[in-house]
Amino acid sequence: MTDRSESFFWNGQRISFEPADTIAAALERAGVTDFGAGQGPCNARYFCGIGACQACVVSVGGTPAEACLTPAQAGQQVRTLKPVRQ
Amino acid sequence: MRSMDVLVIGGGPAGVAAAAEMARSGLKVTLCEQGGALGGAIHRQPGNPARAVPVPRAQSARWHKLSALLAKTDAEVLTFHAFIGLDATGAVLVEDRRQGRLLVLRVRALVLAVGGLERVVPRPGWHLPGVVTVGGLQVMMKVTGRGPAGSVLLAGSGPLLLAVAAQMTALGAPPLAILERSRQVLSPLRAAPLLLWPRYLAEAAGYMRRLMQAGVPWRLGSSVQTIRPTDDGRLETVIVDGAGAVSRIVVDKVALHDGLRSNSDGLPPAAHATDRNPHVVLAGDCREALGGVAAIADGRNAAQQVIARLTGAPPMSSASRRIVDTERRAQQALANIFDFGIPDLLKLPDETILCRCEGRTVGALRQMLATDDQPSPREIKLNGRIGMGSCQGRFCVEWAGAMLAQQTCSAQPAGAEFIGNRWPSRPVAIRSLLGPAVADAISSIPPNESD
Repeated sequence: MTDRSESFFWNGQRISFEPADTIAAALERAGVTDFGAGQGPCNARYFCGIGACQACVVSVGGTPAEACLTPAQAGQQVRTLKPVRQ
Repeated sequence: MRSMDVLVIGGGPAGVAAAAEMARSGLKVTLCEQGGALGGAIHRQPGNPARAVPVPRAQSARWHKLSALLAKTDAEVLTFHAFIGLDATGAVLVEDRRQGRLLVLRVRALVLAVGGLERVVPRPGWHLPGVVTVGGLQVMMKVTGRGPAGSVLLAGSGPLLLAVAAQMTALGAPPLAILERSRQVLSPLRAAPLLLWPRYLAEAAGYMRRLMQAGVPWRLGSSVQTIRPTDDGRLETVIVDGAGAVSRIVVDKVALHDGLRSNSDGLPPAAHATDRNPHVVLAGDCREALGGVAAIADGRNAAQQVIARLTGAPPMSSASRRIVDTERRAQQALANIFDFGIPDLLKLPDETILCRCEGRTVGALRQMLATDDQPSPREIKLNGRIGMGSCQGRFCVEWAGAMLAQQTCSAQPAGAEFIGNRWPSRPVAIRSLLGPAVADAISSIPPNESD
């Protein structure tokens, strides 16, 4: 990657990020507050910022991970978690 | 990875102070941090150093000194490594989140310094996207160096609301208002004991000056009762002021904070080593939430305990213990002017979410409590699924316990009575659990291990 502004994909949409950004920081910058269906019935979203509340868990390359702890990486596929129940 | 004497979990002030002190005494120390950099929530460093959020000078000086001290030692630092638990064989389980594998470590001592938690009292709508903790909002500002976009309301109680509002203002994004539930903050009688801590008063005065200049109102006695989503993706808040008057305001974000608390539920308890287990010591806000100054001193206390146990050296000095005691009195003085009490949760509407992970409501718990056969905390978790979700009750069992106590007029059960302290203390990827480290560890489990 030589491009200075790198990006990952959020549900297929390109999200640019800055060095040392977490996925949550990049989504916040892009104005994404609702992360869609979460682990339980409440939608995923940023809340505590310290990896404790688990509210911001999204699918990172297929593995559930806290958006507030996981560093953004170029080309990464980040998605809403598949709902575990309807 | 090399062999080690001590594993320290958590790269905030307590963990770094503990690691530095133990490494200086000659112990082989490894420090694990779940995120990408040391500092913890309080000393979170910006992604771009040119965009640092203003913090009190004494606070950044403390961190510079502490991180320089650690850098001079041979302590090993592992970022993106999260504590999973202490297993029945006495092995410490740590997830290497980058590689997606589990480390199974045998150490002589384990220092847990994972930090405290913010309390947020449930109210209708507190689970909605756009509702964050005040600390979460602050961490985001520290990382990005930018204030939040849109209009923000800060509500709850405590000095953190002032600090964050002042930082938002400095970044050009002042909040609409700070709603402080306590009416007593400016009561001279109650505030008088704080004169013993001029550091806190000077810090607060600095924040208030900035907020007054920017015209940010600090409304005492006011609170956010209800939050509802609007059709255009914003949040309508229902506010009740000190006189009981109700108003509504639509905002983009609501940041809530009702104080800080320790975070030891789900962690192995402090204990001396056995023939199987390492010494376990808890340090900093996860043991007792007393703030950043106390956390450093408490980390040193933990280090001295470990040094004494592993090397037989006598504890060096009681200076660190005295600092922790002093900071405890300061926190008590602050608690006397702010309002960290638990309101009558039985008055919440049935549909209010109580357990955010599992989506369990106040109404569901009320129904469980209405039976003649009172459920135990454990039954509330196992049958009611409250505290059963992936945060392991960290944001709901205090409130479930309070409802139980309010309904039965009994003492409030501890969080551990709901959730116990079995590992994993946090969710871990199956991929990590199935990695090669586990296969090694299973073959090393002594026979007749059936727990």
